[in-house]
Amino acid sequence: MDGIKSNKVIWKDGTAKNITFIVTKDCQLACKYCYLVGKNEKERMSWQVAKSAIDYILDHKSDFNEESVIWDFIGGEPFLEIDLIDQICDYIKKELYIRGHHWFNSYRFNFSTNGINYDSEKVQQFIAKNREHLSIGITIDGTRRKHDLNRIWKGDGPEKGSYDDVVRNIPLWLKQFPHGGTKVTISSADIPYIKESVLHLYSLGIHEVNINAVFEDVWKEGDDDLFEQQLTELADAIIDGGWYEDYACSFYSENIGKPLDPVYDNTNWCGAGRMLAVDAAGNFYPCTRFAAYSLRSKKPLIIGNVHDGIDRDKLRPFLTLDRTTQSPQNCIDCEVASGCAWCQGENYDAAESPTIYQRATAICKMHKARVRANNYYWNKLFRKLELEGRREEYEANRKTSNPILPC
Amino acid sequence: MKKEIGTVSADERDEIQKLFERRNGLNELAKILTPSDEELYEKLVKDLGETSVKFQNWWDRMAANYSWEGSEDGHWEINFDTCAIYLVTEK
Amino acid sequence: MLKYLIVMLDRASVPFCHHEPAEKNEGLISAADLKNAIRFGMKENLVIQFVYPDRAIPAELENIIETIDHVKIKPYPSGKDDVLVADIGAIPQKAENETLVIRASIQELAEKVSEVENAIYRFKRVNIILKEPDSISEEDAGAYKLFLDRLTYYIAGQTASGKELPQFNLLTDRILLDKMNNCGAGDESITIAPDGKMYVCPAFYYDGDAPVEWDKEEGLQLPNAQLYRLDHAPICRACDAFQCHRCVWLNRRRTLEVNTPGHTQCILSHHERNASRNLLGRLREAGIAATLKDIPELDYLDPFEIVK
Repeated sequence: MDGIKSNKVIWKDGTAKNITFIVTKDCQLACKYCYLVGKNEKERMSWQVAKSAIDYILDHKSDFNEESVIWDFIGGEPFLEIDLIDQICDYIKKELYIRGHHWFNSYRFNFSTNGINYDSEKVQQFIAKNREHLSIGITIDGTRRKHDLNRIWKGDGPEKGSYDDVVRNIPLWLKQFPHGGTKVTISSADIPYIKESVLHLYSLGIHEVNINAVFEDVWKEGDDDLFEQQLTELADAIIDGGWYEDYACSFYSENIGKPLDPVYDNTNWCGAGRMLAVDAAGNFYPCTRFAAYSLRSKKPLIIGNVHDGIDRDKLRPFLTLDRTTQSPQNCIDCEVASGCAWCQGENYDAAESPTIYQRATAICKMHKARVRANNYYWNKLFRKLELEGRREEYEANRKTSNPILPC
Repeated sequence: MKKEIGTVSADERDEIQKLFERRNGLNELAKILTPSDEELYEKLVKDLGETSVKFQNWWDRMAANYSWEGSEDGHWEINFDTCAIYLVTEK
Repeated sequence: MLKYLIVMLDRASVPFCHHEPAEKNEGLISAADLKNAIRFGMKENLVIQFVYPDRAIPAELENIIETIDHVKIKPYPSGKDDVLVADIGAIPQKAENETLVIRASIQELAEKVSEVENAIYRFKRVNIILKEPDSISEEDAGAYKLFLDRLTYYIAGQTASGKELPQFNLLTDRILLDKMNNCGAGDESITIAPDGKMYVCPAFYYDGDAPVEWDKEEGLQLPNAQLYRLDHAPICRACDAFQCHRCVWLNRRRTLEVNTPGHTQCILSHHERNASRNLLGRLREAGIAATLKDIPELDYLDPFEIVK
């Protein structure tokens, strides 16, 4: 309906093959909540490894038969390797065309950047060259005080936040990508700043705020109450201020907080195993979360490499994992289960044994708090629409939205 | 000004979207070809021409089929998510 | 629920399953650990199986073993009631056991079909266990199917001419089963190794896994124990190759998860299943086995295709 902004429809409804190049483990920042525990300056992907990976993927078309592809670049900070990325993307475009590959008609290059060198000449040249195929998200965590709580510059000496260095590039980014969304991460210390941060991001002109609590076990007693309070106050601000018409926040979705049928609502939403990540050594992973630098306590889960290819046996657990087989009984029986996400990487890292089949549930209380605030939001919004005589119009034009956004 | 004037079917949307993506891909590929890629460049130019013709043909076909409202100082746009067609004019 | 206890008497106990033993590094179980193992088996009401090495063990241990009802798993020579384990090239002609376990690679099976044909009518029950399961290729799987097809015709012919249907794990088990009947390591069976500690099975012991603790109230303290059960195996619970071992050790080697089989394992099990189906059909043509349950025709060899 005109009048309520939903979260953006995911390109190709999430059916595109996602291929991630871990181009570097270096980053200008040392964000405190970063799950990438092994960042360093040394491991950078070489052109040879990148080319071998691309050649392998394009040579094995039958194993990659999705209609569309998203070539994803991460780090560390990917734009620290803009020369390599430029070379990779040029090679991909040329090879897809020469080979007559159907992906030439349906591809994207995707970046999640800290935004610090977004305005550099090389990055801007790259953007101009690939404009129609780019998806770039800048991570800005909210107000200065929230952003600088965690997103600090690397190095010795007193902590220096990166807010100013990022926010100065937001106008340029939004001019080039008007529908650009930002990813905001919530950990325990961030909770008191959620409301002000979302509103601040709106005020910067960012219409899509994708905000998620981390899966890791970082939560303290009382965090869920504070979280619920923040989301409820935010709901009031969004609805009373009319922000809902043009701005979306992923916390609020009509589809969360319902019970799930163990048979009919059993699908695995996490794309691990369906996506492919490749690191500087040319190793393949089912998702970047299984690379060594992402793991606290487990060995990396390698499914192949650019020389030997993918061991498809190692993908089988990922492709057959469902909601109930990994979940404890209280999750299966939960009356507000819908919208409660999981991360197979965190499952693996936190599990008592090396398995993806033990669901990490540290996020449970936070999800329940979100559900309560979410119920409040929709009850309040629907009442407002009714009083304005717009409720029927909303129901008639209701879009289905994805309550769980992919990583 | 932007005014919704109709919709197309999902299949029709897929057809134009594919052409749109291909045209973008060809344009961006053209930016990186060098003189040494002469054969490839020739192929690309021909492809771009054919794609552009198909692209225009789609709009002509749809306009005739759906009898959309037009305007001399306007053009049509499609929303790929909703399949809606808009008439965009200066005023 | 635990039903079986396997006790390895020696580090070089005869390999009766897919695993190869460690190098001949002899290390007998101590008398104290053996007694504890037996006591545990008795208190938990388990069927106890002792796995012998290829050499005599001290009389002291033999005497302890004879204090309880049990099954011996032994190489030749062994008693009539013992489970005899032999390599396919070395099936003893004079053996009088009722149960024989043949270990063989697919190449060996293809070359020594007549040994198998002979064995399945000499012994009351024959189990074939594949060696080197990790290195089985597509070509090997084809040879395996051929081997099974040959035996199908052989058994059908022999049965039609009046011989009793043999008990043979690869072909006749599936005809008689109506639900999964698998190894059950980590769920229904547990192993006590020569060090006196518990492991999922001998292969896990040889892999150097940490031992599993036992709690009197809670039972096996196996991390994520549910993954050893059929209901937590998404591919297997949709499968009707009931005779499959569902070897959790092999699963882990191939897919890194105990609850997920590799592609080759599923292919081999389905060749067995389909050969059983063919055998059943032939028996029915000969007027036998009319009352046995149908085995439906399938258009896949790997149930992953219907589960993914």
